[in-house]
Amino acid sequence: MDMNSISGWLQASVRLAAPLMLTSIGAVYTERVGVINIGMEGMMLAGALASVAASFFTGNVVIAAICAMTVGGLLAVVHAYLTVSRRASQLISGAAINFLALGATNFGYARLFPTERARAVTFPVLSPPELRGIPFFGQVIFAQPVIVWIALILPLVSAWVLYRTSWGLNIRAVGEHPHAVDSVGLSVHRLKYTGVILSGVFAGLGGSALAMADLGYFAPAMTGGRAFVVLAALVVGKWNPIVVAAACMLFGAADALQLRIQTFGAVIPYQFPLMVPYLLTIAALAGLVGRTAAPKTIGKPYDPETI
Amino acid sequence: MKERRKIDLSGLEGLVLSGARPILAVILALVVSAGLIWAAGANPIEAYAALLEGSFGSVTALASTGVRAAPLLLGGFAVGLGFKAGLWNIGGEGQIYLGAAAATAVGIIPLPVPAWLHLMLAVMAGFVGGVLWMLVPAYLCAYRGVNLVCTTLMLNYVAGYFVSWLLHEPSPLAEKDAFFPMSPLILPSARLPILARGTSLHVGLILGVILGVVLHFVLHYTHFGFRTRMVGENPEAARYAGVGVTRQIFLVLLICGGLAGLAGAGEVLGLKLRLFDFFASGVGYEGLALAILANGNPLGIIVGGIFFGSLKAGASKMQIVTGIEASLALVTQALTVIFVIAIGFGERVRLTRQQQKKSRA
Repeated sequence: MDMNSISGWLQASVRLAAPLMLTSIGAVYTERVGVINIGMEGMMLAGALASVAASFFTGNVVIAAICAMTVGGLLAVVHAYLTVSRRASQLISGAAINFLALGATNFGYARLFPTERARAVTFPVLSPPELRGIPFFGQVIFAQPVIVWIALILPLVSAWVLYRTSWGLNIRAVGEHPHAVDSVGLSVHRLKYTGVILSGVFAGLGGSALAMADLGYFAPAMTGGRAFVVLAALVVGKWNPIVVAAACMLFGAADALQLRIQTFGAVIPYQFPLMVPYLLTIAALAGLVGRTAAPKTIGKPYDPETI
Repeated sequence: MKERRKIDLSGLEGLVLSGARPILAVILALVVSAGLIWAAGANPIEAYAALLEGSFGSVTALASTGVRAAPLLLGGFAVGLGFKAGLWNIGGEGQIYLGAAAATAVGIIPLPVPAWLHLMLAVMAGFVGGVLWMLVPAYLCAYRGVNLVCTTLMLNYVAGYFVSWLLHEPSPLAEKDAFFPMSPLILPSARLPILARGTSLHVGLILGVILGVVLHFVLHYTHFGFRTRMVGENPEAARYAGVGVTRQIFLVLLICGGLAGLAGAGEVLGLKLRLFDFFASGVGYEGLALAILANGNPLGIIVGGIFFGSLKAGASKMQIVTGIEASLALVTQALTVIFVIAIGFGERVRLTRQQQKKSRA
């Protein structure tokens, strides 16, 4: 491989990783407060449709991103209500939300765009052309749409909030020992709701990045399991926002690699890089690559009456 | 929390309550969906009439419902059995793929055996395929304490890509020069017999119903079933009573995998007659929805599976008559599950309070 194809591959890697990284930010928070959200797949999908529709009708990408985050957040409220307030199974609630989003986006897409395939305004590339001309970095970093930059910066902000603010400490504490949080007078429910809703908001934004980083259109079921890749990144990255984002980058690179194999052909079948995130996760869970350290009460509802 | 979960719904009261929950949820889901139909500019009554006609109105409609219900039943058992043992098998999708691939591998080879035996072997291969795909998660869950949800969920995608690879040349399962990745046709000797002439309703549905009844009896009237439910309700007590909990979990999970594998085998040997790239899309997850709707109860899964099947079958008729997209059926299914779990906890709390009153008196 020459320099050009390497930087081309890295450019695609970063772009494909952006939706994963954005989604992973919220995913860290929901699991840190002890709620697994497999419904992020549906929230991404709903966010993708919402942002394409908003961008198509208003032509404004900021409104589009806000719509995506709102829709994702609203679905997350349903998940939070069912799992935190009603203490229903997090798994079932998430799976039901995925179904709901799949059906509703198919339904809504057909309603909104009955005839033509809508091409929406995409996120712009903001950097001046001179910067884009820089060899390697110009292509990999500067030629990316603005949403990719946001995806690269946000994990750092997220890590700072989680590890350096008292609110972040509360979030981390809720997943480890909710009773302790309760005993110092903080609302466990409020923290849990916040964590879950953040996961929906960022999944929606991730969906928006997926649909509008360069495609500019929606396709039914277009997320294709990307939220599950994010769940995989959480395990591999041990619930640390920066490491998780790095894992997302790795998985984005695997995705870019398989696209290259499909186009140019290679010795290994293109399906194999696609399996990497999932197999790596199982290896991590089985304890083959270091120990995983999930938040202690993950998956369990909080009941103030039992210790 | 533990105490609440163990509430014994015994006698007629229990039967009515456990049945009332899903029925109430279905009614609520249908009401909300009716609102969506109305908002989309169609008459809900007309739409539901078309849906009913498309799912139960004629022999073709009934066959169409049955064809769609068949894989859902098996997919539901694959989750429901684990549910009874307190285990969440989210890997139905992956096990379905592997079961289908194994059944295809046997079904496309001309074997020097009678037709019924060829079919039996292909169906058994489907079971074995599902079991093998469950082997690693089952071992990790039972003996190493690794979260089953994560492993089975991840393996779904691995299975999808693995089968996709099997269907691309130069794999022996791939059809030569096909326009779409798929396997060669299943040989006639390995196909499931058709039940009603002129339709695609195959024996898979009957097999599913029989398996459900068998599973019900196994769960309630055998040592194996008793141990399974004991592990699900209180693993500590089960261990104390001398049940080999890890071994029981391992075995139950393998059977779950096998049941899902059978669902895949049925789809390929009975309906599609070829293995296609990513053919199962969602059946494994619908099985999960069914299992929760029926509380893991095999007989309930049969009823629920036929309901879900009829929604899917009738939705296309509804689309033709009223122009409401068939994807609304998915929304209705999802709403049913959401309402079931939303109602669920309230009922549990109410019962606890009643019991507390009783015990105080």
